[in-house]
Amino acid sequence: MARKPLKVRLLSRPSRVAMWGGLALGLGFFVLFGIIPALANIVVSLTDYSGLAGSSTSFTGLSNFTTLLTTQRPGFLSSLVDSLYFVVGVTLVQNGIGLALAHRLQGSSRSAAFLRVMAFLPIVLGVTVVGIVWLLLFDPQSGPVQAILSTVGVHSSFFGSGNLAMPLVIIVQVWQNLGFTMVVFIGGLKAIPPEIFEAGRLDGVTPWRRFRFLTWPLMAPVVTVNVTFAVIGSLTTYNLIYILTDGQFGTNTLGILAFNTAFGNSADLGLGAAMSVVLLILAIVVALPLVAFLQHRERRLLA
Amino acid sequence: MSTSGFELRNPRRAWRISTGILIGLLFVIPIAYVLMISFEQPGHFVAHPLVPPASPTVSNFGAAWSQGDLGPEVLNTILYSVVAAAISVVLSLMIAYPVARKLIRSATTIYRIFVIGVCIPLPVIPLFIEAQDLHLYNSQIGYILLHVEPGLPLGVILLTAFVMSVPEELDEAAWLDGCGYLKYLFRIVAPLAWPSIVIAFLYSLLAVWNDIIGPVVFLSDPTLFPVTRGVYNFYGANVSAYTILAAAVVIVSLPVVALFIASQRQLLRASVVASR
Repeated sequence: MARKPLKVRLLSRPSRVAMWGGLALGLGFFVLFGIIPALANIVVSLTDYSGLAGSSTSFTGLSNFTTLLTTQRPGFLSSLVDSLYFVVGVTLVQNGIGLALAHRLQGSSRSAAFLRVMAFLPIVLGVTVVGIVWLLLFDPQSGPVQAILSTVGVHSSFFGSGNLAMPLVIIVQVWQNLGFTMVVFIGGLKAIPPEIFEAGRLDGVTPWRRFRFLTWPLMAPVVTVNVTFAVIGSLTTYNLIYILTDGQFGTNTLGILAFNTAFGNSADLGLGAAMSVVLLILAIVVALPLVAFLQHRERRLLA
Repeated sequence: MSTSGFELRNPRRAWRISTGILIGLLFVIPIAYVLMISFEQPGHFVAHPLVPPASPTVSNFGAAWSQGDLGPEVLNTILYSVVAAAISVVLSLMIAYPVARKLIRSATTIYRIFVIGVCIPLPVIPLFIEAQDLHLYNSQIGYILLHVEPGLPLGVILLTAFVMSVPEELDEAAWLDGCGYLKYLFRIVAPLAWPSIVIAFLYSLLAVWNDIIGPVVFLSDPTLFPVTRGVYNFYGANVSAYTILAAAVVIVSLPVVALFIASQRQLLRASVVASR
């Protein structure tokens, strides 16, 4: 702090103007398209704004929120169940497979490097391409999965099936983001000093015990990152669901419901905003204890 | 691993090879299948969906290109993503530098707000209202301006970390020589920070390129659609034109895949940095 005024004074007056100008421009964008809309969400949630030209808008207080909690919108409560299913499924599968992949692909061999790149490719391809690829694979009329199942006489509508849609959506969501989880886990594995394993090997420790009592505890910080990202990410995301099922067939999570309430046929921006406010509150309510727990776990395991 | 017990070597090798193949199948098969079918004759595909094309054809690509009107959409996407990502990176640097050097009060607070910003989902509903009020709705310039902000948090974090690694003596020397601020920032700091700038640019670019919610919310004129919404609509309208859809998916993926192959090292490393 003491050297701060000294440093700015080194700048000439025009340079100082340029610095403030650039900073103001950048922060202006951030405030205008980041902070203001985030706060405006709360304001919109207190209105009956429809977004349709010519319709009037009035403040309705908390009525959007009472609408959600009473049975007038039965979709809301069941969307919480769908969200829970989605979040738990994605978090467990993504971190489980991500950890296994990281363990297998952490090496420096050519094949490991190639497979790492392949695992990262879905992130680059994006939700639209990935979504359509999986819709094509599981196409109930002419897709290859149906063709294989037909040989044993099984037929399914896959993404159009009330039982299968959610597991499939979870699989695609995980497949899409596995590369990131894996890379973060590899970062955690690489951060463990190799001497620790050398000591373990001399003692004749089995691979499982080495993982259970050395690797796993020492990876606690990256577990925190990956679990938090998976929970918050899957709770708030809806772009892949928009492509795959648009919230039908038991995949109506709160995120896609809020989006469709605002921009679907009902065009109820106020109610949609109320849902996204609930979603944000939910994310904070879940994130704070989760991060606190995981950081406590880090301290306990690394102590 | 290779120094471990001699008698363990063969089973371990078999295990590594089989798991490697399994992982390869998990990620390669979905993409390879769609790639294969994009060269397939529709008639042969319907009869033998699991068999490689008997007589491969490129006609699906032509059909997808013209029926899906992909040309103008690809150009729109390139325009939106390159310009928005470029503005985003320039603004990130102009925020990151004074923040990293603590040239302003509350630099730490500003930095923290950007860290929180990485985790918060985009408030689409108020942005839609804002876009209409500011006349950014259904316009190319508006679409670009609306896509600058999402790239800022990661850009600011990456570039702040970079500027902190540049010795402060360099600033002082340049300033005492009378080098102007912007000239210093873009002629001296930016070239040094090039790897971080490339990563921030690529992540912004991919976010805009792959966005599907933005084109649904902020655009209504089909001639302004980027390729994500174009190919999504094309899918909805032609669910049964399987081979042409596969070709459309391949065409749309080619630019990002090429970009990815050129930059995969940096991208993979960056996600480790970003996770800290």
